[in-house]
Amino acid sequence: MEKIIEIINLSKSYRNGRGIEDINLNIYKGDIFGFLGPNGAGKSTAMKIMTGLIRPDRGDVKIFGHSVTEEYELAMKKVSCLIETAESYSYLSAFDNLKQLARYYPDVDHQRIDEVLELTGMSKYKNEKPKKFSLGMKQRLGLSAAVLSRPEVVILDEPLNGLDVEGMIDIRKMIQHLAEKEQTTFFISSHLIHDVELTCNRIGVIYNGKILNVDSTQTILNNYATLENYFVSEVQRNGRISSCTR
Amino acid sequence: MAVFQAALVNEIEKLYKKKKALVAIVLSLAVIIIGQLAIVGVRSGFGLRGVGSVEFPMLVLSVVVNTILPLFTALVAIDSFSGEYSQNSMRITLTRPVSRFKIFTAKISAIVLFILATLLMLLIFSMLVGLIFNTNSTTWDSISRTFFAYLVSLFPMIVLALGIVMLANLFKNGISVFFVSILAFIVLEVLGVVFSQYSSLFLTSQLDWYNLFLINSFPLGKIVRQFMIMLGSGIMLFTAGFYLFDKKEF
Repeated sequence: MEKIIEIINLSKSYRNGRGIEDINLNIYKGDIFGFLGPNGAGKSTAMKIMTGLIRPDRGDVKIFGHSVTEEYELAMKKVSCLIETAESYSYLSAFDNLKQLARYYPDVDHQRIDEVLELTGMSKYKNEKPKKFSLGMKQRLGLSAAVLSRPEVVILDEPLNGLDVEGMIDIRKMIQHLAEKEQTTFFISSHLIHDVELTCNRIGVIYNGKILNVDSTQTILNNYATLENYFVSEVQRNGRISSCTR
Repeated sequence: MAVFQAALVNEIEKLYKKKKALVAIVLSLAVIIIGQLAIVGVRSGFGLRGVGSVEFPMLVLSVVVNTILPLFTALVAIDSFSGEYSQNSMRITLTRPVSRFKIFTAKISAIVLFILATLLMLLIFSMLVGLIFNTNSTTWDSISRTFFAYLVSLFPMIVLALGIVMLANLFKNGISVFFVSILAFIVLEVLGVVFSQYSSLFLTSQLDWYNLFLINSFPLGKIVRQFMIMLGSGIMLFTAGFYLFDKKEF
């Protein structure tokens, strides 16, 4: 299987003592990888390093073999992302917001912008400015931006934040559709266990800045009744190991 | 190059759509109208000559380079950096396949284009107003000198913008940057008066360097020296600003 993302010995610590430590992970083509962990476990830190928003203390991330710290433009050429909250320019319309991004990709035209707005159910708001949007609408616009360039890799940090049930189902369907039809690789972080179980085909558990385990959803569900049971068991086992070493 | 071009077009569109730049240009033009009305008032009320058709644009330039132009440059530069940091919208650009160097350079280029556009608008309007209200002879030589004076005023403004951009990457919020910029401006003005023999080293004194181009003897040596000082300061401020921008975590 083709290795798309390679995370090598990634470490980053903040002044408050939190961060990530020696994370190693490989993501393969067509994966819908779920990065599961509680709040403050280090999911966003890892994803921010992957997208060049912060620099690691040690280690590197390679996307399509290009280092994000050394060859950022090449590494991000076929990558798109949504980190934490979906940001947009409040003084530009939804369409103009996407037009700003489209300029970085020669093959993205106005028709494609209309297409993604339709895909995320935002076409009727295309001429409105995001300052009047609800959190869910902003998130949908963020997701439109994430899939605009027909990326081969999509990195999504808590993509279902602020979405209603209908929105969650729509986005889940969209992710599965893109993974199946266009072989798009997804790297999704979430603390919503049920949603990760329904969306992702491989799952990595992160806790206290360390990767506890990586396995396929199928294998996990063969051994545990639910993903929640697996998560609790992994965290408890880690907790026991930590307390034994103390 | 295509990526830089895209970043630059985006920055120009943002400047234009935010309307702050447009307001700045409109206010600059209002200064011309008010200035001209004052001159007409002086002429008809006190019987004084005021200024001639070509002198009027130079009068406008001498006023704006020390007042509203640095102010608007500061506002646009702060908005371009601190404004996007505070709204987190810098992430939108940073997570696209474009290097931080290109983003930084595109932002600076957009600010430079804004200053150039404002100067050209001021030149055209002040010339038009000057010609309409003050009818006396105009020579091509004086017009070209006026044009040149406006054009060279761009250089100290670029250095000023680079200084403000560096401060915008040093301090967390835009208001701090604005007040520190004003404070630095006042301190440099005072230093320029107190240590007048070293005044050519201070940016605030360089704002008036266009006067060197109006002297008939054309002091080439002094012009080159001033230009080199500005170039040196510009390179240092650009490097320092980019270093801080590149290290910033979002």
